[in-house]
Amino acid sequence: MTDATMNQEERTALRDTVRRLFADQCTESDVRRIMESDSGHDPALWRSLAELGIAGLLVAADAGGSQLSAVELELVMEEAGAALAPVPLISTAMASVLLDGELAEALAAGRTIAAVALLGALDWTGDSNVRIEGGRAQGTARFVPDAGIADIFLLASDEGVHLVERASAGITPLPTFDRTRRMADVRFDGAATRIGDGAAARRARDIGLVALAGEQTGGARRIFDITVDYARERHQFGRAIGSFQAIKHMAADLLLEAESATSAARDAARQVAEGAVGKDAAVALAAFACADAFLRCAKDGIQMHGGIAFTWDHPAHLYLRRARSGVQLFGDSNIWRDRYVAALDAMQKEMAA
Amino acid sequence: MTDADLQAEVEAWLAANWRGAPPREESFGRDPRAEWLAQVRDAGWAVPRWPRDWYGRELSAEQAKIVERAFTAAGAPGAGQDRSNLWANTALAHATDSFKRVIVPQLLAGEVGMCLLYSEPGAGSDLAAIRTRAEKVEGGWRVTGQKIWTSGAMIADYGMLIARTDWDVPKHRGISFFFLPMRQEGVEVRPLRQITDESHFNEVFITDAFVPDENLLGPLNGGWGVLQTALAYERSVMGDMARGARSGAAGAKGDHAMLELAREAGKLDDPVVRQDVAQVIAWRVLNKLNTQRAKAELAQGTSSSIMSLGKLAMSRILHEEGRLRTELLGPESLLEGPDHPRAEDANFLSLNAYFTSIGGGTDQIQRNIIGERVLGLPKEPEIDRTIPFREVRAG
Repeated sequence: MTDATMNQEERTALRDTVRRLFADQCTESDVRRIMESDSGHDPALWRSLAELGIAGLLVAADAGGSQLSAVELELVMEEAGAALAPVPLISTAMASVLLDGELAEALAAGRTIAAVALLGALDWTGDSNVRIEGGRAQGTARFVPDAGIADIFLLASDEGVHLVERASAGITPLPTFDRTRRMADVRFDGAATRIGDGAAARRARDIGLVALAGEQTGGARRIFDITVDYARERHQFGRAIGSFQAIKHMAADLLLEAESATSAARDAARQVAEGAVGKDAAVALAAFACADAFLRCAKDGIQMHGGIAFTWDHPAHLYLRRARSGVQLFGDSNIWRDRYVAALDAMQKEMAA
Repeated sequence: MTDADLQAEVEAWLAANWRGAPPREESFGRDPRAEWLAQVRDAGWAVPRWPRDWYGRELSAEQAKIVERAFTAAGAPGAGQDRSNLWANTALAHATDSFKRVIVPQLLAGEVGMCLLYSEPGAGSDLAAIRTRAEKVEGGWRVTGQKIWTSGAMIADYGMLIARTDWDVPKHRGISFFFLPMRQEGVEVRPLRQITDESHFNEVFITDAFVPDENLLGPLNGGWGVLQTALAYERSVMGDMARGARSGAAGAKGDHAMLELAREAGKLDDPVVRQDVAQVIAWRVLNKLNTQRAKAELAQGTSSSIMSLGKLAMSRILHEEGRLRTELLGPESLLEGPDHPRAEDANFLSLNAYFTSIGGGTDQIQRNIIGERVLGLPKEPEIDRTIPFREVRAG
C-alpha cells in the first residue's frame, strides 16, 4: 500500500482511458447480458481492466501493480459506477490493502479474485457468525460481495485479517435484487491463515467505502444526466417537459445532490490517501451523503421521466437497483450518520485535550 | 511600466501618505473616509483599470491587482473600485458626460450616499413589471411610484432608479434608468419592519419627484440594459464579499456548532437527535467542500456549475439549523429577550433564514436559473414578453 498520487493531467488521462474502455466494452446491452448470466461477472471486461492496470490500481509496483492511491481509485469508480460495470472492483481494491507478494501479483494481473468478508465490529449485515480459533475459520459470513467468483476469501475484523481458500468455503449465491452486484452467503470450515492486523482490516473497509462512494457518485451523475437530457427532448403540451418548473426545480435540487456527492467522495478519497486526522469523519460523511444522493437521483429520475422509466427496457431501474444495493453495503445511512457524529465528537474531544 | 516599478511606486506612495482613517460602519451613506478616498482617487489608485481621463491609469487586470494587494497589505482602503464600486462603474459606463463629470469623482471619494430603487411591491421576482412612472416635463422627468427593499435610503443623496417611460411597448422595452436626487420633497423614506423586528430596509414613496435630463443613464427606454450592467457589478461585489466571508469563517468549529448545541442540551446520545445533527452538519460541510472544489476547478480554467448552487445549499442549511436549534432547546425556545440568548438565537436564525431563501431572488427563481443556465432546460413561456405593458394583467 502506497500513497503515490497522480498529477491533474495524469488523472484526466486516466479518466479518459477508463471512460473509453467502458463506453466500448460496458454498454447498457453488455450490462444487461451479464445481468442475465450465472456469475453476474464480466471476465472479458475484467481482463481489459487488468491489462490497463486498473485491477492492480492500489497494488505495489514491485508486485506488478499501478501503485496509485485512494484518489485515483475514487476517480476510476466514478466511471465504473456511471457504466454500472459488473466487475469486482470494490472487492479487489479492498483486497489490495490486505495482500502482498505473489497473491498481490495475481490480484493485479486479474488471475485471482478475492472476496472480503467484514466481521465482528466491521460486520454490516449484523448476521455473520464466523469464529477463528486455532488457525481454523468456522461459521457463516453473510452477503459477501463477489463471493461466487472468488478464488480466495479474506476475513477482516478488528481482531485481524485471515485468508481462507475457496476449497474451505461453502458458497450459497443469493438472489440479489441488484443483478449487477452479486453476493453470497459463505460457510467457512477450514484452515485460516493470519495475514494482517485489525488496523489493516479497517484500512480495507475504508478503501471499500471510498470505492463505493465513487461508484455512487458516478451512478448519481449518470442517471441525472440521462434524466436532464430526456427533460430537454421529451415534449408534452407542445413544450419540452424540462421547461415546466415542476421538472426544472427537481433537476436543480438533484444537481445539488450529485455535486455534493462528488465533493464528499473526492474529499474522503483524499483524506484516506493522506491518512489525514479527519479521515474517519470524511469517510462516514461520504458513506451516507453519496448513498443518499445516488438513491434520490435514481428515484426522482424515474419520476421525472414518467412512464417510459417504469419499463424494464429503460436503464433507469438498473441505476435504482444499484443505488438500493449500495445503500445497504457496508452499513446503511443511519449507521453512518451516527458514526459521523461519533467521529466529529471524537475529533472535538481530541482537539480540546 | 514593469510590475516591480509599479509595486515600488504604489508602496512608496502609501508610505508617504497613509496615516490611517476612521473605520466605516455603514455600507451606505457618506463615507467617513472621504478625505483619504479623494487622495487615493487623485493619485490614480482608486480605479487603475479605468481610462486616464477618468482617474485611471489604464492598467491591465494583473497590474491593477498589484495595486490592490499593496493597499490590502498596508490596510488602506480605496483601491480596486474599478471592480467593487457598483455606483461609479454604472455611472462611468452609462451616464451623460456632463453628469459623469460631477458624479464620478464624488462616488469614488464616497462623498455621496447611494441607494437602489429597483424592486416594487408589485415587481419582485418579476422586476421588469415595475409600475413607477417617469413623465417628461421641461428639463427633466417627474417620477411617481413606490419602491421597496431599499437599504440606505435614509442617508442617500441619489437612488439608482428604474422607472417606466413607455407603457405602449413590451415590459422590458419601456424602462429607463435614472440617478434620482433623494433629498427633495416628493421622496419619502419609511423604515420597513422585518419579521425579525429589525429594520435593514426601507420603503420609498415617490410623488412627483423631479429628475433632470442629464441624470438619465443610457438611452431613453434602454434602462433594462443599463440595469443588467449594474446587476452584474452587484453580483460580482456580492460574490467577493461572500468569498471573503467564507474564507474568514470560523472553520470546523462553525461547521460543527450543532454538535456543540446538542451536547449542551444533553441530547447527543439520543439516536434520533444524532441522525438530525449529522445531516444538518453534513449539509454545511458539503457546501464548503463544494465551494472549495468550485474554486479549484475555476483556478484550473474549467467551468464550474457549483457556484450557482451555493444559494440553494445555504438556504437549506440556515432553515434546517434554525429548526434544529429550536428542537434542541425545546420549551426554552418559547422565550425571548436578553435573559434567554439561546432562545433569541434560535428564533432569530429561524426567521432570518428567509433573508437568504427569498432575498436576492427567491430559491424558486434560483432553481429556474440553474435549470435554464446550467442545465440548458428551456424557459417557461412568458405571456407578457411581447405584449404592450399597458395590457399586462397585474395584481
